[in-house]
Amino acid sequence: MITQLRIRSCLTVVSVAASAIVFATGILHADETCSSPYLARIEGQEDFVYVWTLGDEGLGDGSDKLVTIDAKPGSPHYGKVISSYSVGSRNEAHHGGFTDDRRQLWLAGLDSSKIFIFDVHTDPAKPQLMKTIGDFAETTGGAIGPHGAYALPGRVLIPCLSNSRDKGGKTALVEYGNDGNYIATHWMPTKEDAHGAAGAEFADGYGYDARVLPRKNVLLTSSFTGWNNYMAGFASILANPEAKRQFGQTMVMWDFHTRQPKKVFQVPGAPLEIRWAWGANHNYAFSATALTSKLWLVYADDHGEWQAKEIAAVGDVKGGVLPVDISLSADDSRLFVDSFGDGKCRVFDVSDPQNPKQIYEKEIGRQLNMVSQSWDGKRLYFTTSLLARWDKSGADNDQFLRAYNWDGKEMKPTFAVDFNALKLGRPHHMLFGARTIGKPPTVAAQ
Amino acid sequence: MACVQAATAAVDRDYDYEPPRPGTYQLPVIKPAAGGSLVDSTGKAVELRELTRGRVTVMSFIYTRCSASRACPYATNVLGQLHLASSEDKDLANGMRLLSVSFDPDYDTPLQLANYADAVRDATTGCDWQFLTARSAHAMEPILAAYGQTVDKRASAKDPDGPLSHVVRVFLIDQQGQIRNIYSSATLDPRLVIADVKTLLLLQNR
Repeated sequence: MITQLRIRSCLTVVSVAASAIVFATGILHADETCSSPYLARIEGQEDFVYVWTLGDEGLGDGSDKLVTIDAKPGSPHYGKVISSYSVGSRNEAHHGGFTDDRRQLWLAGLDSSKIFIFDVHTDPAKPQLMKTIGDFAETTGGAIGPHGAYALPGRVLIPCLSNSRDKGGKTALVEYGNDGNYIATHWMPTKEDAHGAAGAEFADGYGYDARVLPRKNVLLTSSFTGWNNYMAGFASILANPEAKRQFGQTMVMWDFHTRQPKKVFQVPGAPLEIRWAWGANHNYAFSATALTSKLWLVYADDHGEWQAKEIAAVGDVKGGVLPVDISLSADDSRLFVDSFGDGKCRVFDVSDPQNPKQIYEKEIGRQLNMVSQSWDGKRLYFTTSLLARWDKSGADNDQFLRAYNWDGKEMKPTFAVDFNALKLGRPHHMLFGARTIGKPPTVAAQ
Repeated sequence: MACVQAATAAVDRDYDYEPPRPGTYQLPVIKPAAGGSLVDSTGKAVELRELTRGRVTVMSFIYTRCSASRACPYATNVLGQLHLASSEDKDLANGMRLLSVSFDPDYDTPLQLANYADAVRDATTGCDWQFLTARSAHAMEPILAAYGQTVDKRASAKDPDGPLSHVVRVFLIDQQGQIRNIYSSATLDPRLVIADVKTLLLLQNR
């Protein structure tokens, strides 16, 4: 009985202390707002921006590379490339992610299905390739097109885009351990095999992004297209009615712990990036549909049932603006939406998530894809490349990283790196690096 | 009673969902659980491999000087809740084992671990719960590496959270010594751990 009382006393201490961390975390951490909630956080401002860069034939060595840019104001190399590690091949570099302890950076190739694992712990300023997974399709039972890597405790979740059988859009979620060992493959629900999910009549089996809201034990996935399309020229897809039909039309809500799909939502037009809100009672996520130029909200209704609805148009341009990456501020009030078509970043006030209002827009370049935002909302980084065969050509083929300060009203440029001029390639996914890694994130901090 | 209510409120806020029913889902094998030479809180030499076989093992890497509320104190607290649950559940009492393994052997001597265990463990009922460490920090290194448990010294030994920085790692190991789940503070919901333990116990009985 005495020990039980001690344990109960301890429980109270944990409860109170966990509440205190909610406040402390907001001050100390300055990481990307779109990071996995399971990822160890940067303390203070980011020192580096890592850029997973597609090799461009005839430019430099033509290979994919991990480019490291110094982002620490006051550094003698601020705004400059300080490291570039070529993997010696072109793989359609796309997205990546850290392991939860932030010691490794996993970078995926959509074409080759190779995973390049870099050590970013020994010298964060100069990442080194430590391992390559080259048998992804064989090991996973036919999943190909690894989209990125999402940190989970002791493992990474790799949402895929395609399959080795027909190279269409039916695909899977794959799990690997932090030391590169394969764990499991979870195929996306289809009409024929929905694994018991509601909304099976909509299920197309497609995949793209995958993100977790730990507090609700849910995993949300989105859908794009298969290898046949993402490795084809964009113009040829538009000219082919059958190819145009081969795009994802769904998002899926999963029970995260059991990895079982629970509900399929009909979301036409290829919903891509997913951003869960961070607020302690904010049970919703945003996404943008690339082909229909809409913002979507997936939310828990008054009965706790998950729903999906279209909430706003992105741009007012006939044919759409091809919204691609989105970034939600840490206070859940602003959503930054990049559009590939017109090269603009639009900022929406999403304080009322059901009724977004556009409050600002800026043309960043002639094409635009990714946006990364610091946790304090003061710094924004943009890159340009979407897919090697979808990028614009000629003078419109901007390939850069541009950094801006954001004061809540206006974006002001701070530095830019021209990847064409430096013969580096096509910059795609950005991730923040630092010499000092902070405390593990807490559930309450969300 | 007030203490229990406070703890329940914390669980409701951090883990706002219904846990799954045991046996209704898969727990794929992650990798084999590594062994290693350790000592228990009486100073007796033990082999970790022998303690991760035969029962479903929940193993937490900790150090007793840790003051980060969602790190070691939380992990030990959850193991305490599992221990309490096992005192009222024969399947858990007979089928589960708890291990708290310190990666700070210089400070966490067997005597220190015995005192720590006395503070957090009901000694008379419930499943086996052992408190272990290595003979030296050097001897602990290969075990930590095998489990992917990273530990760094903080810039200041007087850091209010404790002198060591680490990610929270709690391992679920099946009766054959295979790791079947890895929890961090964000997923270390005692209800989920119990569902996972019971899922593995049900598998054994099929």
